[in-house]
Amino acid sequence: MKPLAITGVGSVSPVALDWEGFVAALAAPEAARARAFATPASALPLDKHPAARAAEVHGFDANALLGDKGHRNFDRLTKLLIVAARRALESAGVKKDGAFLGALGPDAIGICSSTAYGSLDSITELNMVAELEDPRYINPARFPNTVINAAAGYVSIWEDLRAPNVTIVDGNCGALDAVLTCETHLAHRRADAFLVGGGDVLSEPLYVAFQKLGALAEGEQVWAPGSPESTGLHLGEAAAYLFVERLRGAEARGAKVRAMIAGYGTAFEPPTHEGLLLNASPVAVTRAIRLALDDAGLAASEVDVVCASCSGLSRYDVAELYGIEQVFGTEVAVTVPKALCGEAFSGSSALGMAAGVAYLEGLAPSPLLCGQLPSETKVVVVTAVGYYGNVSAVVLRRG
Amino acid sequence: MGRVFITGMGVVSSLGFGRKAYWQSLIEGRSGVSPVSLFDTAAIGRHVAGEVRGFRARDFMSAAEARRAGRCSAFAVAAARMAAEDAGLSSGQLAGERTAVVLGTTMGEANVLGELQKAWIHQGDDAVSVPKLPRYGTTLLPIHVARAFGSRGMVQTLPAACAAGNYAIGFAADQIRSGRADIAVTGAVEIIEKLEFAGFARLGAMSPDVCMPFDKNRKGLILGEGAAMLVLESEESVVRRGARPLAEVGGYGLACDAHHITRPHPEGAGSITAMRQAIQASGLTVDDVDHINAHGTATPNNDAVEALVIRTLFGARPVPVTSIKSMIGHCMGASSAMEAVACVMTLETGIIPPTMNHETPDPDCDLSIVAGTAQHRRGIDVVLNNALAFGGYDAVVCFARPGCLPRGAGEA
Repeated sequence: MKPLAITGVGSVSPVALDWEGFVAALAAPEAARARAFATPASALPLDKHPAARAAEVHGFDANALLGDKGHRNFDRLTKLLIVAARRALESAGVKKDGAFLGALGPDAIGICSSTAYGSLDSITELNMVAELEDPRYINPARFPNTVINAAAGYVSIWEDLRAPNVTIVDGNCGALDAVLTCETHLAHRRADAFLVGGGDVLSEPLYVAFQKLGALAEGEQVWAPGSPESTGLHLGEAAAYLFVERLRGAEARGAKVRAMIAGYGTAFEPPTHEGLLLNASPVAVTRAIRLALDDAGLAASEVDVVCASCSGLSRYDVAELYGIEQVFGTEVAVTVPKALCGEAFSGSSALGMAAGVAYLEGLAPSPLLCGQLPSETKVVVVTAVGYYGNVSAVVLRRG
Repeated sequence: MGRVFITGMGVVSSLGFGRKAYWQSLIEGRSGVSPVSLFDTAAIGRHVAGEVRGFRARDFMSAAEARRAGRCSAFAVAAARMAAEDAGLSSGQLAGERTAVVLGTTMGEANVLGELQKAWIHQGDDAVSVPKLPRYGTTLLPIHVARAFGSRGMVQTLPAACAAGNYAIGFAADQIRSGRADIAVTGAVEIIEKLEFAGFARLGAMSPDVCMPFDKNRKGLILGEGAAMLVLESEESVVRRGARPLAEVGGYGLACDAHHITRPHPEGAGSITAMRQAIQASGLTVDDVDHINAHGTATPNNDAVEALVIRTLFGARPVPVTSIKSMIGHCMGASSAMEAVACVMTLETGIIPPTMNHETPDPDCDLSIVAGTAQHRRGIDVVLNNALAFGGYDAVVCFARPGCLPRGAGEA
């Protein structure tokens, strides 16, 4: 891969409404985690789910952040994505107070946005109407939210971004796969820059589904991403975008290069039994990382930090850590950002890359799961492990 | 880097299974539209669709595969197996890390979710079927297909609403050109689901009876469903195994209107950009385009804007335009993949399928519509497949007869 420049970052997460706050939370993970889970999530009725442990973006006031008009029919994911997008655009010096500043205009910027369960809460909302009242009462202004790519479409409309708008669905791996989408379209000059990332939000049906599958750590059960003792995951929600452009373009407009995207790899390994759907595959982890390193032209020994996908689902965490060990040995520093604010699927893989940028800019890798802290961080590998045997990896390096 | 060829295609449609049955019905102008049998439409006020009938998953899948797949995934696997067989590829030849699976859809396994939610809404948490839960994820569509062949490379879903087929085909071709894959199984799939059906009805976008693209009296779209899969191969792979290419994938264009979530830009700004990009990226000019397979939904806004776009780019030249949605309905995420199959068949046979129900010309859609009867034309070398979608998406893919594109077409 021809290295791409990251010149902006924007995020909304349970630990902070902006990326700077997220970085501060990474630096003090225990306190941040306590804050993120201190208040029950409003999406999960307490009377029905008293043992729920989930991290919501509390204090998110769309009117304060977006103004009080034009977003009445947007769903929650759309609002989170727009705020993350706006912050990434401002962070990259492309827009200020909603206006383009010059070098890159509407026709030059696209979106590669991922989500795993993006329209689930909107589908639920309308299914409630259809089932409990009448299909004729479905609000047509909210029907578009049931279409998975609508959230990214609204980001383009809100921010006036007219270059390609692509939504990627690949479960936990989505935001990393968005990197490939971005790289592909930049190589073909279909745009000069992209917002790359994605998001997912909490909803009651999502919680019930994971609960029924036995995937959650509830009440006092152990939640410890990366530990074999963990009994399950905690759900969260988040949205994050990187502003990514060709290096030459970034230099030409005098943008600060925060970090570089140097490589991408993906792999799929099916379960060994025909009847199974789910698969935790260390083989896929190893292969995806090696492909990403090859793509970057880097050796495993040059990697300082692995920003892992571990969520607390021990079967997957064990497979991922084993795969990482196969490539890097036991000394590389492995961080687990999901330990801050839970599993937010595409939002988490986007936050994983945002954390990687923070490490490359000097933050000590945190929250550290294992390995040795490097004296300085020059190369970070971000991994994402899907539930079906799909794994992706991205290599970031210092700008 | 290099050329990308289509070597096989498979279709599940309301007009039959397999590209030959599908094509024969299209050129005969048959309608796949019938009363909806999948759910009760009494309260919705619209009652017909291009529903796939007589599909039995077990005709295309093992018992284990059928058990773990919903209707949408089953369509995808069936069409993919037909495409592989059409390409003369065994599962073994598609196994391994160099085969990518890139699929498009709008709502994926919406019926699995619909059934789960119906139980949850009416009966509570305890009624939710645990075995059914993992079958919902849209992520699963390419994974089912990859597993059918033992593919271990990229598995990706691009949910680009009604332009998803073009998004997937274009992106898959890019991956072959960039060397990340040798072969790609790509295309798109969609099923009709009650909420989707009711939602389009509430938008006032649906015709009560027939789909009349570009007709002055058009009344809206008819929903449809189906799957269309294409096997894409690098030139090296085609030569190595002596495969017969059906067509070449040229360049493609993408843009976003950034205007309205459901309506196209009134001046077709994004659509013009996408169509121009597709032509230029193929190393061609507008004069080289012999036919356009239109998006042609038969909604008042869409058809008028699409006509404006074509007139803007092609001027007075009467490039023949057709919309097969008049026969199979609007298959949403699958539509542009199903239209891609028609494009390739047009290149192979020289026949342009008709736009049915086009009776009264609309001055706002003054295009050269292939109305009522299929046309046989000599020298159809290059076709464009046009798609628009919710979100302001515009996507156009260029296909050509093998050898008709300049070398370097579609490359970065």
